[in-house]
Amino acid sequence: MIQVVVTQMLNGAIVGALYGIVALGVTLTFCITGVVNFALGAFMVLGAYFTWWCHEVAGIPYIPSVFLAVLAVSVLGYLADAGLFRFTRNHLVNGLLVSIGLISIVEASVLLIWTATPKNLSYVLPGVIRVAGISVSQIKLVISAALVAVVAATYVGLTRTWFGRSAFAYAQNPEAAMLMGVNTARLETMVFVYSTSLAALGGGLYASLYSIEPSLGGFYILKGVEAAILAGVGEVLGSLAGGVILGISENVGSIYLPSALRDAYGLVFLILILLLKPAGLFGGKK
Amino acid sequence: MTFLKRTAFGILLAVAGVSGASAQAVVKIGQIEGLTGVNAYWGFMPSQGARMAVSEINDAGGFQVGGKTYKLELIQMDTRGEPREATVQFKKLLEDNVQFVFGPFLSNVFNAIEPIATQNSGKFLMLAGTTAAHARLAQPNSDFLIRTYNWDAGPGGFGTLMVKHLKALGAKKVAILYPNDALGKTILDLYGKLFKEQGIESVAETFEPGTKDFSAPLAKLASYKPDFLMPGYSDAVLYDIVRQATESGLATKLFIVRGSIGPALKNKDMIDDYIAYVPKYFEGAEKTDPAVKKFVEDYKRFYKTEFPYDQAPLCASSCYDHVYMLVQAMKTAGTVSDVAKIRAALVAQTYRGLWNYKFDDTGEAVFSFNIVHVKKGGDIALTTVDPTATTAK
Repeated sequence: MIQVVVTQMLNGAIVGALYGIVALGVTLTFCITGVVNFALGAFMVLGAYFTWWCHEVAGIPYIPSVFLAVLAVSVLGYLADAGLFRFTRNHLVNGLLVSIGLISIVEASVLLIWTATPKNLSYVLPGVIRVAGISVSQIKLVISAALVAVVAATYVGLTRTWFGRSAFAYAQNPEAAMLMGVNTARLETMVFVYSTSLAALGGGLYASLYSIEPSLGGFYILKGVEAAILAGVGEVLGSLAGGVILGISENVGSIYLPSALRDAYGLVFLILILLLKPAGLFGGKK
Repeated sequence: MTFLKRTAFGILLAVAGVSGASAQAVVKIGQIEGLTGVNAYWGFMPSQGARMAVSEINDAGGFQVGGKTYKLELIQMDTRGEPREATVQFKKLLEDNVQFVFGPFLSNVFNAIEPIATQNSGKFLMLAGTTAAHARLAQPNSDFLIRTYNWDAGPGGFGTLMVKHLKALGAKKVAILYPNDALGKTILDLYGKLFKEQGIESVAETFEPGTKDFSAPLAKLASYKPDFLMPGYSDAVLYDIVRQATESGLATKLFIVRGSIGPALKNKDMIDDYIAYVPKYFEGAEKTDPAVKKFVEDYKRFYKTEFPYDQAPLCASSCYDHVYMLVQAMKTAGTVSDVAKIRAALVAQTYRGLWNYKFDDTGEAVFSFNIVHVKKGGDIALTTVDPTATTAK
């Protein structure tokens, strides 16, 4: 039984890392633009499908396929920001409406082009690693390591570079940041595009683990928002931790309780944390 | 005079042409399936097959009933698997006096439109493949309904025969992993009883539709040490379940009553045995059955695309054969509008098309099917079962 619990904690942590990458995108966009960008789920779908197309149809190896997908979706993210989202800065309702509309457009387009039939990538790094009765698939370990590395690099970038410090400054006081010479319009756009590239990366990595469908984005953006709230919106490393905690609570809960209510276990955990700490697990720090 | 004769002759020809055109009437067939969305798997092939059959019949000049020539008009609606959308579409079909409705295959859609169908019983016929139609057929006022998919249970039921096959292989314990929805619950009830009748122990776990990571329920089921895992119910989940079950070694023998052998072939080096109920294994039948070979060739020509072997088995329900069966029933009944007579003629038919097909006394289909074993490495062993040869009327 211990092996089952430990295995599920590991699986939950890995799935949670995917929640975390989306949560990071949510947190960055919210802090800088004031909008919860639900369309990040749509960009995740595009990242997954572009990766699938590059790898399965165009025959490009997996890692370059992911890079190409991230690049393509980043361009689309830039266009979405320039054409739509820049008109909704700090207007929560407008931003929500635009992001929800974009989800519908992207999902309908994906359905039209690739139909509803789930797509499967050829297996990348098949096989499991078994230690003391605990088994985890190799690709899951590699992907979680990649996601942790990306989140860590994002944290380093935000804390050790001029751009990162500008972003923090802008998040705390936009007017002061502008007066200090920060190009706020360019900053907002760059953060937005970076968030979409994170979502696309999540989609590309997701495609190597599970079959992909047009509706996957809706599920993951909700998990990303849950994880961001659990950690405390604005916490970069906390978004990864929030995702991991969510994933573990879902998987471990499913061992002892009905698997059909898996999503509820993470939500119950979230509610309990917010009752004790309304700013989130890591939020509220100065 | 010559000018007058020519003019008169032209007028006569025009009148004859108009008379000919007005003698050709139309019989409408509506089809309500999910053509897009997560359950499009169930609606795709029925819609493709029905469209082909209607086109063939119309291109051949239509069909004759009572000395009059009719053509078919197929009105296809995409429910997206959404009960509310299906309700609106179904109402519209009835308002447009469509007397023959193919579909639905989805239980949640059927449950939503059933009250409207019951209210309109006697005015139309529904040829539906959904599992939920089985229970409805047993209730009063079900004359509007014919079920075009064979039932799992009963002496000729494919589920009964599949479970007996599993028992013969020595299975003692089966773990079931199914979605927590209307069809999932029906399957769990049904197969729990079928396994018990055969002395096979079963345990079940359900998961929320949309789930992709099955590690937790698979780990729970593996602790029971089952001989077979029965996952389901469409390829949308089977690919992920089979991959995760076989990769982790939690289950390498699988028993499938809904879904294709595609997941087995993708994981062929990791499975030990994948036993699937397949209404028809088209890859094999194409080589031995001229009707199937022709259908595959016609499909490629008609749609200008590759033949969807993995989805083709679902043409067993409200699909190609059923259009021809309906036309045959109209001819036998001598009417295109008396739905009671047409239903009686349909139910009395024994049809040999892509499938060997008949209906039992309640109006539920009985047809031939394959039991497919996919072994490690991808070798395929096929058994054909034809309950139409033994099912008594």
